[in-house]
Amino acid sequence: MATRLPSALPRRPTTALPFSPLNTHTSTAYLAPSHTPLSHTPSRAATLIRRPRRPYTFTQLVQLSDGSTYTIRTSSPLGMYKSTKDTRNHALWNPNEKALQNVEVDEAGKLAAFRERFGRGWDSATESVEQTPGATPEKAKKGAPAADAATPEDAGGEDALADLISGYAVGMPELPSISTPARGKKK
Amino acid sequence: MTTLREAPRVGRQLLSSVSHLRPRAPGLDRYASTESTPPVVPDVELDSGLATPIVTRESINILDPRKRASSRTHELPHERYRFHAPKYYRGPLHPVQPPPSSDPIARDFAPGPFNLPRLKQTYQSTIASDIMTMMYQHTPPGTPDKPERIRLREWDDSSPYMKNRPKRGPRGADVLFPLEKSIDWRNIPEIRAVHIAMYLPQAKKNIDHITVGRAVLQSIAGVRTATTATRCSIYGNQAWEFIDKTINLVFPKIKEWRGFKGTTGDSTGNIGFGLEPQDMQNYPEVEAAYSMYPSKMIPGCRVVLETTAKSDRHARILCKALGIPFYGKIVD
Repeated sequence: MATRLPSALPRRPTTALPFSPLNTHTSTAYLAPSHTPLSHTPSRAATLIRRPRRPYTFTQLVQLSDGSTYTIRTSSPLGMYKSTKDTRNHALWNPNEKALQNVEVDEAGKLAAFRERFGRGWDSATESVEQTPGATPEKAKKGAPAADAATPEDAGGEDALADLISGYAVGMPELPSISTPARGKKK
Repeated sequence: MTTLREAPRVGRQLLSSVSHLRPRAPGLDRYASTESTPPVVPDVELDSGLATPIVTRESINILDPRKRASSRTHELPHERYRFHAPKYYRGPLHPVQPPPSSDPIARDFAPGPFNLPRLKQTYQSTIASDIMTMMYQHTPPGTPDKPERIRLREWDDSSPYMKNRPKRGPRGADVLFPLEKSIDWRNIPEIRAVHIAMYLPQAKKNIDHITVGRAVLQSIAGVRTATTATRCSIYGNQAWEFIDKTINLVFPKIKEWRGFKGTTGDSTGNIGFGLEPQDMQNYPEVEAAYSMYPSKMIPGCRVVLETTAKSDRHARILCKALGIPFYGKIVD
């Protein structure tokens, strides 16, 4: 289907050129078999021109969370799409936006009081990894157990709450092989 | 007698056919460009859009088609006298040729485009020139080109049988990957296609998974899939719109999403990623009709962005410019 002009020559000169000098030798003693490309009868399978099958598409107005709008072609029949979360109010795409950062608000000092009393073992894994260097000397002054920050298990971050479990298990009189000496100090 | 009657017509035809051969009046055409001043193209349109007259509904004169049809005295020709484009294309030498697909009466005519996708517009106005500028590497003029690294191995002519043998491929792999060329104005990486595929092993038990997968795929991609295939490829404007939608509306809604893996890519400039089943409902089209889907059967999908870049590095630069972050170890 490259060229549809009747005047266009076929790509391969041997396929069909009924009046070309290429097949003048058929008048001689040698007669080309019919299945060769030099045959006189042009045969070409007809190609079905299919109608394109496509779903109905609507024009939709998209409003991003900062109020900017644009149109898209979509299969959704709704005329307007208002986005609540998109790249305009996501911290990954706006790293300088302070309002989007997940900062801890501790105006009443309740979280600090909790940490002073129970340590930082409750914090989620990433936070404990970030804040251990600053928090370790503070805890050492207060007499809180500093072992959880110094042990390599906490640096791994995966088992931030594991010391609670092991600390619970230390009180039990069974299985002395499992309890680590670091955990024993904490109790 | 017949020839006599035909004579004036033939003469007129002859004259009209060779009219372009008659000499023109001299001095009308001037082919030199010395005196011609270039046309002044103002940067800002002089006509204000506010100055155009306001069109009201009453001012539009619409002929009532029903009234016109009833007042018509003669009968219109039957539908079958209309021109229908041929159903089959029978080769370039056939006397009946189908009209081109841009013709509205052609069988394979698809209307459009109806809009210029936003991301494509951004690419053409900003991203392409940015990539070209940032990837520019200055070489002082007169610097000889670096010789191309020879990747095909020669035969040592230790045996006479090795004479004229084609060179061997690289050791360990028989495929030569395309060479990364430096980006200039001719080969700025661009999105060529988006391939979406769903893997539905559950369909062995329940064939409805394929139906649901096709419906989801058709709604998010905007193309029909084959009857039993839950994969499709989209090109051009549709690909741009899909990427725009995915980046701006879908990725921010995914919990804990950090970006594409740094190790993605097939080292020839195609970047892939995946979407979990619970992420598919973030597409606006799925969200609009979410209650109509059996929510347990909505599958995830794998998407490959096919770019014109020849290396993953360039494709990744394009993706970053489009707004896709990467995380982890970057492997080029």
